Amino acid sequence: MEAMVSRSPGLWQRALRSRSFVIGAVLTSIIVLAAALSLVWTPYNYAAQDIPHRLMGLTAEHWFGTDQYGRDVFSQILVGARTSIVVALIAVGIGILIGTPLGLWAAAKRGTLLDEVILRANDLVFAFPALLIAVLITAVFGPGAINAIIAIGIFNIPVFARLTRAAALSLWTADFILAARVAGKNASRISVEHILPNILNTLVVQSTIQFSLGILAEAALAYVGLGAQPPIPSWGKMLADSQTLVGLAPQLALIPGLAIVLTVLGLNLLGDGLRDIFDPRLGGSRR
Amino acid sequence: MSLLSVSGLNVTIGATPILRDVSLSVEPGRVLGVIGESGAGKSMTALAIMGLLPAGARADGAAILEGADLLGKSEREMCTIRGRDIGMVFQEPATALDPLQTIGQQVAETILVHTGASRRDALVEADRALARAGLSQEHFPRDRFPHDLSGGQRQRVVIASAIALRPKLLIADEPTTALDVTTQARVIALFRSLVDEEGMGLIFITHDLALVTGLADDIAVMRSGEIVDGGATREVFRSLAHPYTRQLFEASSHVPVRDPALRGGAPVLEVTDVARDYLRPPRRVFGPPGAFRAVDGVSFSIGRGENVGLVGESGSGKSTLARAILGLDRVQAGSIVIDGTALDDSDRATRRKVQAVFQDPYGSFDPRQRVDTLVTEPFHLLGNEAPRGAERRQRAEAALETVGLNVADVDKYIHEFSGGQRQRIAIARALIIEPKLIVLDEAVSALDVSVRAQILDLLAELSDRLSISYLFISHDLGVVRAITDRVLVMKAGKIVETGRTDKVFASPQHPYTRELIAAAPSLSRALAG
Repeated sequence: MEAMVSRSPGLWQRALRSRSFVIGAVLTSIIVLAAALSLVWTPYNYAAQDIPHRLMGLTAEHWFGTDQYGRDVFSQILVGARTSIVVALIAVGIGILIGTPLGLWAAAKRGTLLDEVILRANDLVFAFPALLIAVLITAVFGPGAINAIIAIGIFNIPVFARLTRAAALSLWTADFILAARVAGKNASRISVEHILPNILNTLVVQSTIQFSLGILAEAALAYVGLGAQPPIPSWGKMLADSQTLVGLAPQLALIPGLAIVLTVLGLNLLGDGLRDIFDPRLGGSRR
Repeated sequence: MSLLSVSGLNVTIGATPILRDVSLSVEPGRVLGVIGESGAGKSMTALAIMGLLPAGARADGAAILEGADLLGKSEREMCTIRGRDIGMVFQEPATALDPLQTIGQQVAETILVHTGASRRDALVEADRALARAGLSQEHFPRDRFPHDLSGGQRQRVVIASAIALRPKLLIADEPTTALDVTTQARVIALFRSLVDEEGMGLIFITHDLALVTGLADDIAVMRSGEIVDGGATREVFRSLAHPYTRQLFEASSHVPVRDPALRGGAPVLEVTDVARDYLRPPRRVFGPPGAFRAVDGVSFSIGRGENVGLVGESGSGKSTLARAILGLDRVQAGSIVIDGTALDDSDRATRRKVQAVFQDPYGSFDPRQRVDTLVTEPFHLLGNEAPRGAERRQRAEAALETVGLNVADVDKYIHEFSGGQRQRIAIARALIIEPKLIVLDEAVSALDVSVRAQILDLLAELSDRLSISYLFISHDLGVVRAITDRVLVMKAGKIVETGRTDKVFASPQHPYTRELIAAAPSLSRALAG
């Protein structure tokens, strides 16, 4: 118990000293809070049209203005945050849940045919441009948030599989793994009990990066009309809808654009910060 | 006048003092041995002299090399001195050389940096330096790459580039620790001849007392940042005036007390005609894979409570054999029988009779688990019979007590322990399921001499009390001699000699055994000679 207590403040102190971590964490929490807020409260119904009050600028009633149908942009941004986060979260979840076990398995069977098959299958997925496959999937199964999740998720699998395998391979040569083998533990047990806890840092850092990429990918799919379908708002779709009106109401493009930029920036900074914190070699000396 | 005289050298990192009032001097044509245990400040002293202290470290005092104070020099001035006036040889020859440059280029580099010589002249000079280091041009042309050479030959290349410009002072920091005994003996002879013939001063840093006694003219004994004893080597070791020197000396030649009556009886391990092959990549694209026989027709047995040593140089197949006995690798031929049952990697009942302790006290534990989880890991081999809950904890505590640790230590993490304590925990982990045989693979090699003596005592006591047998694998003949009853000498995958330890050491039969024993540094021989 003492060790735990003495260790955790060290991590926290380092966390609070890392500028990237603090800024990233603040930005990320704002987005997550916005998404959570939309579950219980939005200033207006995001789908309610109010044609007489369309294309209004930033006012006290409509903080971010209204779009061409008179819908409240602030409400749409809040609900859009929810769409982005849910899509990216599940997509990264798919990547971790399938990719990590595959990587652990490949590392446990390193040098065998199975390892080779897993690696080549990863190469195969990597060989296709992610967006192209996403377009293909939505073309076959129809557009929608679920298909967007699947499409983005598939491309997270090889990322986590490779990362896990590489990190696990270096651990497999450690003496404590040898000791576990002498204790009669088989490869799957060693993978779960010794390898996984020791590579968790790496996976957490990579998850934040993949999460931001997932949000970007969702926005891109929604922008070309292959993401969430109307009337569910999505930042990418808001961008696409505002395209023809950029001259008339530039804030309609700027606001969802800024939301995407700040979220991705926040998650990347968070990932950077986490890496600094977890990496004992960088210690607290940086920043 | 001294070549180098260091006086009142203090080094601090932040507020922590690292070196306190270190004073030593090196004469031309003489060897100063600096000895001490890890953390004594030996390497730090060398780095301070070279002006290579880590960032944040501050040095004061004086280090006068031929009238000029090295500590007062700027980094730019030190760059012209390093390599030209002071050469340095580090511990690890594998990483000290650039793998993509030929050995000639690497030696020539020092010459090019410090003299205006043309590339061609530098290469000719490099040839000469390599020849001085014992790599003649006929056998080792300068266009060889480091991977073409063995560890000892690589260390010669490092030495060649250190002495290329005939520096007045050479600093060698544990230069032979990574080498086999026979190679070590040759490299030591090379150092001696360089000092004698070229009049260089040599600072030789080591933890190995026997080694330094045979080489050094003068000696400085360091402990926690201070020099505690020094003088002419013979006198220091003959008189043993300082208690710490005496303590080091006794720990180095320590022989644990054992009860000879307990050994023998039914064999716990019988190895018969075991062979182990490693696959090599095929020579042709679709050709059959080649094979390398690492263990070749090895047979021996270990009786109950018997301690058997396995010695040989790196690559002789010692560790491969150990892995096969532990059931980690499958053998290609022969049989391994443990306590009457043939070893089968899925048979837990047999595997639980053999446990292991490895060399590296820092790498052999999962850093994220507590000691109670670490120590009870072998319970996995007991399957459903494994103790749980309170009994499990009790067993963990009992195992820690057996190896002389505190019961309260079960809740700590491994990073809270020193190297010697970790090796005790490793032994506790091996003992917890009451095995018949423990394989100790270089288990004391990474420990300081005084800690090593304690661990050897513990092992001897456990062997007597619990009638456990050991297979003690080591390259350190002194340790093998101290703790084993019988010894096996392995060379190129075969056992070339076997017999009672005292007899083998007194009258070795096989030429290879003789070579090994002659090459091993020995305190008594060095002091008698």
